[in-house]
Amino acid sequence: MFSYFKEYFDFRVLFICLALVIVGLICIYSATFDINNAANFHRQALWAGIGFIIMIVISFVPLRTLQRLSITFYFIAIATLVIILVVGSTVKGSKSWFGLIGLGGQPSEFAKITTVLAFASYISKTDVSISKIKHLFISLGIFAVPMFLILAQPDLGTTIVFFVVLLPLLYWAGASNFILVSILVPILTAFGALLGTTYFIIAVAIGAVLLYIFRENKFTVAVAFGIMLAIGLSVQVMYESMHVYQQKRISAFLNPEADPLGAGYNVVQSKIAIGSGGFFGKGFLKGTQTQLNYIPEQWTDFIFCVTGEEFGTLGASIVLGLFAALLLHALRVASISRNRFSSLAAIGIMGIFGTHIVINTGMSMGLMPVVGLPLPFLSYGGSSLVANMIMAGLLMNFYANRKEY
Amino acid sequence: MITDDKIDVSSRRRILTIVIIVVFAILFLRLYHLQLLSYSEFGKKSEENSVRVVIKEPVRGYMFDRNDRLVVDVGPAYTVTVTPASFDTNNLVFLSSLMQVDPAVIKERINRGRTYSRFSPVRILRDIDFKTLSKLEENLYLLPGVNYEVESKRLYPFGKCASHLLGYCKEITDEQLKRTGTVYQQGDLVGSSGLEASYETFLRGEKGYEFISVNSKGQLLGSLEEGRRDIPSKEGFDLILSIDFGLQAFAESLMTKYRGALVAIDPNDGGILAMVSKPDFDPAIFSGVTSSKVWTKLNTDPDKPLFNRATMTRYPPGSTFKMLIAAAALEEGIINERYRITCRGSFRFGNRIFKDVHVHGSVNVVQAIQKSCDVFFYQLILKVGLDKLNEYGRRFGFSKSTGIDIGEETSGLIPSAEYYDRVYGKDKWTQGNLVSLGIGQGEIGVSPLQMARYVAVFANNGTLIQPHAVNSIRNKRTNRIDIIDHKEIPVWLNYDVMRMIREGIRRVVEEPGGTGSLARISGIVSAGKTGTAQNPHGADHAWYVGFAPFDQPRIAIAVMLENAGYGGTKAAPIAGMVMEKYLFGELRRKVIKPVSAVIPRDTILLKTTEKGEH
Repeated sequence: MFSYFKEYFDFRVLFICLALVIVGLICIYSATFDINNAANFHRQALWAGIGFIIMIVISFVPLRTLQRLSITFYFIAIATLVIILVVGSTVKGSKSWFGLIGLGGQPSEFAKITTVLAFASYISKTDVSISKIKHLFISLGIFAVPMFLILAQPDLGTTIVFFVVLLPLLYWAGASNFILVSILVPILTAFGALLGTTYFIIAVAIGAVLLYIFRENKFTVAVAFGIMLAIGLSVQVMYESMHVYQQKRISAFLNPEADPLGAGYNVVQSKIAIGSGGFFGKGFLKGTQTQLNYIPEQWTDFIFCVTGEEFGTLGASIVLGLFAALLLHALRVASISRNRFSSLAAIGIMGIFGTHIVINTGMSMGLMPVVGLPLPFLSYGGSSLVANMIMAGLLMNFYANRKEY
Repeated sequence: MITDDKIDVSSRRRILTIVIIVVFAILFLRLYHLQLLSYSEFGKKSEENSVRVVIKEPVRGYMFDRNDRLVVDVGPAYTVTVTPASFDTNNLVFLSSLMQVDPAVIKERINRGRTYSRFSPVRILRDIDFKTLSKLEENLYLLPGVNYEVESKRLYPFGKCASHLLGYCKEITDEQLKRTGTVYQQGDLVGSSGLEASYETFLRGEKGYEFISVNSKGQLLGSLEEGRRDIPSKEGFDLILSIDFGLQAFAESLMTKYRGALVAIDPNDGGILAMVSKPDFDPAIFSGVTSSKVWTKLNTDPDKPLFNRATMTRYPPGSTFKMLIAAAALEEGIINERYRITCRGSFRFGNRIFKDVHVHGSVNVVQAIQKSCDVFFYQLILKVGLDKLNEYGRRFGFSKSTGIDIGEETSGLIPSAEYYDRVYGKDKWTQGNLVSLGIGQGEIGVSPLQMARYVAVFANNGTLIQPHAVNSIRNKRTNRIDIIDHKEIPVWLNYDVMRMIREGIRRVVEEPGGTGSLARISGIVSAGKTGTAQNPHGADHAWYVGFAPFDQPRIAIAVMLENAGYGGTKAAPIAGMVMEKYLFGELRRKVIKPVSAVIPRDTILLKTTEKGEH
């Protein structure tokens, strides 16, 4: 019995998740201590319990069942996204909170998982090859549909996650470098477009060079270049049509010090919080930035500041280390899986986790724009936590079934 | 292994591993850059970080009486605060010696505040005097974390006047804090009795927020961005009362000797003109610091000075209840104007004898009210019965709360068949229990407020008014005055019934042989009814209810004096004088010294088996 568990039970993921959830609960407790007597802490602890059960249950579901159901789940997620676009209530300027039987749930959290599973399921079909243009477009379409539905909410952060996750997935699925570059360069130009005309021209030039280096034939290069230009220009148009608060967030990222009490305020305060933590931190409940609530709703997207301020480099390094271990472990599961579906899905999960971790911690430390993305396992939020636990459960599942073809 | 598309898993894994390691290396480097290399810079910034939010307390609303006299005022009070996080506990003894309070008190308050927020100031001492304030100011630089703020406190230009009605504010309790969410903070004053409590949401105003720069020791550096981000506090709304404070003060002066209550009401709109409850308390003791000693003393005083006798007592009304019995009997057609009985001074029911004070001879309903003939009503209540008594009781506003806007009140009680079944057991009580109800004794319990409202029905010819103390609410920001509407309920009494009863109570005051002659107002015809509620625990409670002028009444009144004796001698003159003062603006008569021997006792029950509700 024990040897079976040793062989098939993924203690590593279990340990990492539990450790991160505990750190998250401690930080949420501290951040909400003065505000509501840590009511958020109690709710999050409850969600952690629920999430833990779901995680264990998922780890034991037969792999074939998961693969078969993934397409169904995908369409359910799409339907849900459509419904909230139509009837969803607007919270904080975004439509993603789904008031379902009084429970606030964020379907986009789950759409990420179902999209990855559907993609993996499609690519792993025996007659599907990523190098065939038709199959490539279908697999891109699997991503495009939920991505645009989420962008329409508008939830910029989650849209970015979809975009970024696509890269390692295509890479792992065996896409050529040209395809990867074709997907990467529009992101570059889009980013350049936000920075200004000069940056846009530079980005276009770099894109053109990259496309030329990895070229396959003139026609595809021309198409990819055209798409790149179109996306870059449409970003310009989109920026104009964005909500003011989103525009402010973007310009605040570009120059956070310009208006320290305006939109860049959070970044400045967040950097001060982390920076003033020092090596050992100020101690639990002793972070002045955290306790004085300089950052609004710190327990959601800026939870990493609490770790940084109260537990210092020591605490923050442990958290980053646990995250790195989680990603490397997901990569290992993907590599040793004999099943193509679970291998790809593990890479997708790694991508989702990785994007969230890098964007969130990067944002807290002033490396990334302020994008509303929670830090996996640490940030307050029931649906986010449960979604993360589901992904951890999937990793455990893939690990247990790694020898299955 | 993935075999399709000639994928070299290990090389892809290697590349992705490198990507992960590089990305995390960047994150780690950034972390070390922020926390180790720039620590001194950010550490300093966080220490200086300095935007602190200071709550600006709004000025609580004022109260004016019906003649626009300011009756509840606001003045400044200096409150010492301590921010637990920046306070050095070694300074505790020094601070307490400056403030001249027990260090344990300060310590307890700081600890209590700490559980909410260690970084927001806790109020430790309210309303310090100028001497203490200046001593504190001189030493403030030695006491990091200690500060003072200017709050407002209640001032009462009329002193102790109407203390029960106006009510007082107290520091918010932990339980209230939990219930109300984010509106209040620890240490806030909230209305906790009387009008202060029931109009709390109007009076309190809205808190303002000021953003100030402070250094790490909490010392003030100046306002942030010249106060452009500040949110000013908004003053509370003013209450305009129906009370006439001249009349209130006069009524209180007449009541000082007694324990009891007086309610004067405008019978046309239900506005309370005066509401007295004696003994009373000085509301000013609650406006600053209320020491627990004072609080305990008030709370344990056997005379219960905090208890509003005008709305919360439940005594039998005695003979003042007879109009209700008469109204029920007449309205239901049980008797008419021609119905007479002969009073021989007592009434036998079964083997019990119920006595009357006098032998009244042959009386009709008007005379029975005028002379307060008990025998007439002993017989009448048996015809009316419990069910009709209850029905008419409710019509006149008894056995339910009046809905007055000053908070706590009793609903009172008129016993019903179910009530007797519950108290005595089914079939263990007889019609004999009913007899004494006919003269307002027994289990009936009413408040002086209910009685004033009841007698007002006869004043205004049949409308049950809604008693209220606040006429309108003024928003000082917009100068908009909202007049509060009150619903009135018709009692539905036949014109003739009303005429007969009114005639009866007019004769009580105006005709020879009436029991209320001491309430007479020279030059004005008035009506009323005396009552003496028998009390098994001591001397009788004296009642008087009445209104004036008879034809176009402007004031209705109920006076209840605990253990004072006869209504006709004790309560009636007070009622008469208060009405006279209100109608003429002055007292025309000399204060009448009651001479009890001349005045007929209106009702006394010699033999009783029931215990009244007290």
